[in-house]
Amino acid sequence: MRALIIDDSRAMRSILRRIVSGLSFETAEAGHGQEALDQMEAGLDPDLCLIDWNMPVMDGYTFVTRVRANPAWRNVTLMMVTTESEQGQIVRALAAGAHEYVIKPFTPDAIVEKLQLLGLVDKGVLA
Amino acid sequence: MRLGVTMAPASFQQIAALVLRETSIIYEPRKEYLVEARLHPLAVQAGCSSVDQYVALVGVDAQERRKAIDALTINETSWFRDNAPYQAFTETMLPALMAGRTERRHISIWSAACSSGQEAYSIAMLLDQHLPAGWTADILATDVSTAMLARVEAGRYSQVEMNRGLPATSLVKYFTRAGSEWQVVPALRDMVRTRHLNLADSYIGIGTFDLVLLRNVLIYFDQPTRHDILRRIHPHVAGDGYLLLGSSETTLDMPADLTALWDREQLGRVQAHRPAGATNRPVHGLSATASPISAALTGA
Amino acid sequence: MTALAPELSDVHAVVEQVWSSFLGDEEPLLPRYDASGPLPADDVWSAAVSIHGGWAGTVTIELSATLAQNLTRLMLAMDDEPLDDADVADAVGELVNMVGGNIKSLMPGPSTLTLPYVAAGRAAHASDTTEVARLDAAWVGEPVRVSVHTTS
Repeated sequence: MRALIIDDSRAMRSILRRIVSGLSFETAEAGHGQEALDQMEAGLDPDLCLIDWNMPVMDGYTFVTRVRANPAWRNVTLMMVTTESEQGQIVRALAAGAHEYVIKPFTPDAIVEKLQLLGLVDKGVLA
Repeated sequence: MRLGVTMAPASFQQIAALVLRETSIIYEPRKEYLVEARLHPLAVQAGCSSVDQYVALVGVDAQERRKAIDALTINETSWFRDNAPYQAFTETMLPALMAGRTERRHISIWSAACSSGQEAYSIAMLLDQHLPAGWTADILATDVSTAMLARVEAGRYSQVEMNRGLPATSLVKYFTRAGSEWQVVPALRDMVRTRHLNLADSYIGIGTFDLVLLRNVLIYFDQPTRHDILRRIHPHVAGDGYLLLGSSETTLDMPADLTALWDREQLGRVQAHRPAGATNRPVHGLSATASPISAALTGA
Repeated sequence: MTALAPELSDVHAVVEQVWSSFLGDEEPLLPRYDASGPLPADDVWSAAVSIHGGWAGTVTIELSATLAQNLTRLMLAMDDEPLDDADVADAVGELVNMVGGNIKSLMPGPSTLTLPYVAAGRAAHASDTTEVARLDAAWVGEPVRVSVHTTS
C-alpha cells in the first residue's frame, strides 16, 4: 500500500509519514495539490491520499475534484486531514468525493481508526 | 487543600499496573506527572490528603478504581469502538429483533457503564439509519459517575474526541458545532435517557432490553461480582435478546450455573450471550429469511 | 462590522487541544496570569493567519525562540541535528494554521483562512485593529501568547 501525503507543512508531513509508515504504508509527499497531481500523472499510483485543504498553488479541495474527474484514479481513497473544520466545508469536501475527513489537531489513533473504517488497515492493529 | 507534590514511585507502579491489567494501556514512568494530574481531582473529591492515599483507596474500593481508570483512559474512547459489535448489530441482531417485534415496532437498548456516551450515541446513529419508518427505539445509558451522565445528557464532544472512529458522513449528519465542541442533534439525544447506576447494586425497575451492552466494564470488578452481575442481568435481557460483553471478556470463566443461564452465539467476529432455553426464539431465524441490512461501517 | 469575539474558554480549548495532540501531554501548557505587555522583542518568533468572510480577524501566536525550536524538534522528531530557520518557520506556521482554522470555526462562516505568515521577531498589529481575545501561557517555562484581533 502506498500513501501520498499532501501538505504544505514539512512538519505535518513528517508527523503523518511517521503514523502511516508505522502501518506499513510506503509514502510519497507533495507540498501542494498540483505537485501531487504531477506525481500521479507521472505514474505514482497511491492507494491513499492524505490531503490538507489550505495550500499554495492548488488547494486540497481542488485536488479532490481533479482526482475525482479522472476515472483512472477512481480507486484512490481520499482523506482530508485539515484544520478546516466548518461544518459546511466538511459537507463540501465529502460531496466533491473525499471519503473521510480528519480535523487537525488529531492524535495518531484517530488516523489509524479512520483507515480502519476505510478498510485500509487491519482491525487487529490496535488490538 | 494543597496536595503532596509528587506521588511515590510505588503508587505510580501500582496504578500503572492496574491500568495495564485492566485496559492494556501502558503508562510509562515519564508519565508520572500525567497520572498525578488526572488523579488529583479524584483524590480531593474522595477526601484524600494525597494522591498516594488515593491510590491506596483505589486498591480496595471498586467504585474509585473505576473512576481512576476512567480518568486515566480519558480520550481513549472511540465512536463505534472495536467496530465488529456494531457491524453485528446492523447485520444480524437488529434484523432478527425486528422480525420478532413486527407488532410492537419498538427496540429497547441498555448501554450499561456508558461512560461519556459514545457507545449509546453510536447505536443511536445506527438505529436512525436502519430502523424503518414507524419504528421507535430507546436507549438507556447508565453509569456510576454522575459527571459522565451529565456529559451524555449534554451530548457535547471535543474536536479531538470527534476524530476518533466517527465516519465523516455521520459527523455532518448527527452533530452541529457548539463553540469549540460538537453537539449531538436533538433527534438522537431524545432517543437516549440516562440513569445513575452502580452495576454492583440492584437493577430493580430498570426494565427489559432487546440488547444489553456490557462492554469493557466487568474487568473492573472482582470475579464473584462479575458472576453476580451476569446472574442478575439475565432477567433484564429479552428472551430473544442479546448481551454483548467486551471482546476480552467473553472468555471469562463462568461457573456451571452461569453457563446454564447463557448460550453463546457467534455473530461474525463477535460473540453474543443470549438467555438460554428461550422458547420464543427461532433457531436459525435470520440467515434464511431476513435480507441483511447492509453494514454501515464497512466504508466501502 | 461589530467586534464579535470568540469566547476565551473556546480559544483556550482550541490551543490546549493543538498542544496536547502534537506536543504530548507530559508537559502541560500552563496559563500565565502574570503576563503583561509585549513579549521581549529579541528571541521571539511570531506567526499569524487571517480569516475573511462571515467573520474577519487575525489569529497570532508569539512564542520564545527556545519554545519554537523545542516544538519544531518534537514535530519533526529530531534530536540533536541542527535546525534551520526554515524548519522553525514551517512548524510555527503549521501551529498557527491549526489554531486559526479552529478559531475560524468558532465564528460565523463561511470564511476562508489565509496561509500562515511567519517572522522571527514580535508581531506588529495595525492601528485600526482591536485585540478581542488573548491567551498567555507557558510551556516548560517558556512563554507563548495567542491573540485574536479584529478590524474595528
